[in-house]
Formats: sequence, structure tokens, C-alpha cells
Amino acid sequence: MEKDIILEVTNLTKYFPVTGGFFGRKKLAEVKAVDGVSFAIHKGETLGLVGESGSGKTTVGKNILQLQRPTSGEIWFKNKDLASLSNKELRPYRQKLQVVFQDPYESLDPRFTAADIIGEPLRLHKVKGGEYNKRIAELLKLVGLSPYMAERYPHEFSGGQRQRLGVARALALQPEFIVCDEPLSALDVSIQAQIINLLDDLKNKFGLSYLFISHDLSVVRHISDRVMVMYLGKLMEVADRDSMYEKPLHPYTQALLSAVPIPDPAVEAERKVIILKGEVPSPLNPPTGCVFHPRCFKAFEDCPKVVPVMGETSPDHHVACLLYKECWP
Amino acid sequence: MTKLLEVKNLVTHFVTQDGIVQAVNGVSFEVNQGEIVALVGESGCGKTVSSLSVLQLIPQPPGKIVDGKVIFAGMDLLKKSKEEMQKIRGSRISMIFQEPMTSLNPVLTIGRQLTEGLQFHLKLDKKEATRQAVELLKSVGIPHAEGRLNDYPHHFSGGMRQRVMIAMALACEPQLVIADEPTTAVDVTIQAQLLDLIRNLTLRLNTALIIITHNLGVVARYAQRVYVMYAGQIMEQGTAIDVYHNPLHPYTAGLLGSVPRLDEPRRTRLQPIDGQPPDLIAPPQGCPFAPRCVYVKPECKLKRLPLVEINSGHFTACLVAQEGALPWKKILSLK
Repeated sequence: MEKDIILEVTNLTKYFPVTGGFFGRKKLAEVKAVDGVSFAIHKGETLGLVGESGSGKTTVGKNILQLQRPTSGEIWFKNKDLASLSNKELRPYRQKLQVVFQDPYESLDPRFTAADIIGEPLRLHKVKGGEYNKRIAELLKLVGLSPYMAERYPHEFSGGQRQRLGVARALALQPEFIVCDEPLSALDVSIQAQIINLLDDLKNKFGLSYLFISHDLSVVRHISDRVMVMYLGKLMEVADRDSMYEKPLHPYTQALLSAVPIPDPAVEAERKVIILKGEVPSPLNPPTGCVFHPRCFKAFEDCPKVVPVMGETSPDHHVACLLYKECWP
Repeated sequence: MTKLLEVKNLVTHFVTQDGIVQAVNGVSFEVNQGEIVALVGESGCGKTVSSLSVLQLIPQPPGKIVDGKVIFAGMDLLKKSKEEMQKIRGSRISMIFQEPMTSLNPVLTIGRQLTEGLQFHLKLDKKEATRQAVELLKSVGIPHAEGRLNDYPHHFSGGMRQRVMIAMALACEPQLVIADEPTTAVDVTIQAQLLDLIRNLTLRLNTALIIITHNLGVVARYAQRVYVMYAGQIMEQGTAIDVYHNPLHPYTAGLLGSVPRLDEPRRTRLQPIDGQPPDLIAPPQGCPFAPRCVYVKPECKLKRLPLVEINSGHFTACLVAQEGALPWKKILSLK
């Protein structure tokens, strides 16, 4: 098992300082965007990362890619801790770790043609001449676009096609691991399915591994092999897909799943929905004990006092909730 | 049931540099008293423009309501003057907009924005309006309501802002509320809170509700009747159960086939709809879905197809279904 791990994150934390004062130099507080998160991604696996806005899921992605440097913790990739490398040392690894961003309307430079966008990573890594043009045509075909579109600008493409360009750019340097950060949320449903299928095909073709960040639980179930749930910077539950969706253990996961409406009126009429009270508290001042306890419908007297640890309740099913004896520190 | 709103053959165009965009092209729908109706469709299908046309909130120019009738409680709204419409909006028909940050005024306090409507429509004095505003904020679940009247929209979180919007929409106990993508900007757990709140409040006041959304799950959870829109036209209409369980249009079937469902065994592959919606400056002559339709016939491309009632209350604009075949059922049962 150990051998086929492609990326391992240990105890990742990322704090953002809140500054104030006349020159903005006074540090007033810290936002714990990600607080002690550990997980591993296996080769050829899609790991889904679910959470609401502010849960820290995007920050996890950015820290893996070293687009942000972690406050502490290790990110192991190819026997190197990426967090400890200098920018120069990181360069060869950056080729292998790529990203597809959320909004294809904002993540593509409007003054670049499709060829410029896809070709930028190639140029940076010194691919030239005939090889360069050949590779661009190849990449366009790979994501279901036509080579004659290479000279078009982003505004000449539809939303779905733009996201295909984003995928082509990520593939340009033959990566091994791609962070997909909400790649579907700006797209219409009928187009979303096209991109999901594309990502699936590419994964099988090139043996890619994905970290698939999303707030859409139905899509995550469709695309992932394993799933993690985050809340206020912490992991709540990590499990393989089927056991997560069939037998969610954490009350937060249970509430999330029940909040997703199912496109069938007859099913909906029968369904009992858990409606959580309140909203996600400010990460500036997170609750004591279990961070979820103020909204939890199963909270008891120990929850505000004891911080639960990740415990394995059954093989490959980890949860951090005091309802389970494995999670007591 | 009494008919509250009847939109007949509505046509709304926008004049742009590139040509005339036929955003809404002959749309008819009805809402009965106290009923929850959904307009479903993807971006650009005309669902928002239809509802803005009902309230005459289309900026004119560039927009123009070219044709059609909007009958609300016996009055033709398209014949009303600006002043008369002002009295109807907010008091008898109100709207919950998509993005609460852009639809609340950032430089006015919540209290001022809430009491404005109460003072204008119900002719309340300031003190009474303030008292009612507090009651309203309490009814939408805002804690410490008295203390929050002097806060500005940026003091509230996204979910709380949308609660304020809901309070404003229901302030004058309207007969009809139009909710345009009320929960696209918020998280799932907050979405469930807000939609339940809207449903419970409208039920209590016997207010009819039009939900405009692209989310098929939300429609299934809340709506009694559904209109499926595509490229400015209605493709299918019927009760939610009929439309979901027996779709009579390949577009509806395509939408249902392209979303993964949590309650069913996981499919290895989704069935997307190939291609993209047509350009509404030069929409196809025949059925607008024909260029993407797998079941297309030569006749589909010739002229526009009318909505035909196949089963009681269940209409489709699809020629194939009108001729009695439903070839897409095969794909749906694959799920």
C-alpha cells in the first residue's frame, strides 16, 4: 500500500495573519484556514474534497501545489518534502503537479489565443518549433476541441469549451497529479456532464491522480474513489466512496448528504432532511472542542471541551467525532 | 384553484450591437393561488427575463416586450403605467433576487430598506413600520433583530442577507413571490435552511411562489408544477411527478440523464447533452433543441412546434413525443 502513494500530506496547517494598524504591520490575529490536515493520495486515484465555503478546501489545494507556502506540515511527492524546497528546486516538480481552476471565465487571459494559453507551460519549459505546434494540436484534440481553434481568443469559446482549454493547459506538461478546484461550478448541468466524462477519460488514459475539490456531493460521489469532508479548516471524515455515502458517520456529513436535493419529486416527498442550525462560525474565533459542536444535532456535554482526533472505526473509514470511542484523545 | 397569474405568448427582445437577441420567444405559463411553480432551464434560456418581464423590470432600452399579455388578478400588467406598477411591485408581487449582495443597497441600513416598502405600500408611520420590520426579521430567523436594524448589508453573512431579502419580499404579504435562483450563492446546508424558510412562509400566507432555478433537485423538492425552458421557449410543462417520471421531451430527459443522483447506484458514465444552446440572435427556425437532439427528424427543423397536451396537464413541444414515441426512456432506465 505504502508504495503506490503518489502524494502524502502530513499535519498541514496554513494560518493567515490578520493585520491592522496604520501601516498594516500590526498582527492582530490569525485565521486558521487549514489546521492539522493529513491524508494521502494513491496513484490513479481520485480523492474528492468536500466542504462549504470557508472550510479551507481551496487552501489545501494551493498548499499542495506550493502556490501558497504552508505554515507548517509536510507535503511528500516523489520522496521530497515540497514544503521544504526553494522555488528553484521546486521547478521540476511543478510540471508534474498541475491545476484546473474554477472559473474558466477568469482563469484564461483574454488577450491570449487558445494556442498561447495551452502553449505557455510548454514555452516555459522550452518546447520549441514544430514540436510545439504539434503538441498544441494534439492537446486540443485530446480535450475534444479542434486544432483549427488554436488561433481563437477565450471570448470566442463557450463556457464548457473554455474549461476544456483549462484542462488542456493542465495536461500540457504530462503531469501525474492534478488539483481540480471546483472545475464545474461555473458550468450548466448539461455541460458539467461533458467535463466530468472528459476528466474521467483522461484519468484512465494517462493514469492521472486527482484531488477533486467541490461542494457538489453528487458530483463528488460520481467521480471519486475516496472522499474527505472538511469543516472550518479541519478534516471531519475520510472514507472510501461507498462507505462514506452509504454509511456516513460524522453528523456533519450526514447533514450535508441530507441537504442535497434529489431530482425526483417522489423521493423528495418521502425524505427526512436534517436542517442544520446557524451558519459556519468565523474561522477567526473557532468554537472550542469539536469545531462543529454549535451546529451539531447530536452534540453532548463533552463536545465543547474535548477536541476529537481522527480515528479509524472500520478499515479505510476515518472520522473525528466524539460519538465514536476511537476518536477520544 | 383560482388562476392568479397568466402569461400569454410573451416575447421579449434585446437590441444589441450584434443584432436582436430573442431572449423570450412566445412563452406562456400560469400560476394558481398558493401554488409553487418552477421555471427550470440553463443559463440563457430566458427564465429570468420572463419573470422580469412580468414585473416590467426589463431595462427598456435595450430590452423590449414585443408581444404578449401578463394577466395578474384580472389586470393586464403590460398596460399599466410606471406609477401603477410601482404600487403592485413589492405589495402584490415581489421578488427575491439571486445575489443578495448586489440587490441590497450597500449604503442604506437594513432597517431603512425594510421599512421603505412598509411605509410606501401600507402607509404605516415610521414607528409602526419599524415595529413590523423587527417582527419580520424575527420571522426569518435573524437573531437579536432589534439590534440589527441599524446594520448595513455588509455586516451580514451571505445567508443572513438572503434572509433579509426574504423578509423584504414578504413584508407586504404579497399574493405572488418570484424567487430567482434564491440559493445559488450559498452553501448546501444554508440552501436547505433558506428554501424551507421560503416555503414555510409562503404556505402560511397562502402566497404563490415561482422558483426560477437550474437545479433539478431543488425543483423536485419544492415545486408542484414545472415549466422546462430552452432557448427562450417552453419545451415541456406538467406536474413535477409527471415531468420527472415520464419526461416527454428529449431535453428534459437529457437534463435528468446528465446529473448524478445520490439515491441511485453510481453510474460509471454520465449521459451529457452534446453541443451547446443556440445563439439567440439567429435561433434555429424549427425546434430550438433540434441541433442537439439525438432523435431529430427532418420535420423538426422546418417550423416551430406548438406545445401539445399529451396526457392531462402534461404538455410537450417535441414532435417525436407528439407522434407517440418516447425513445429516450431507454436511456433514463439505464440509470
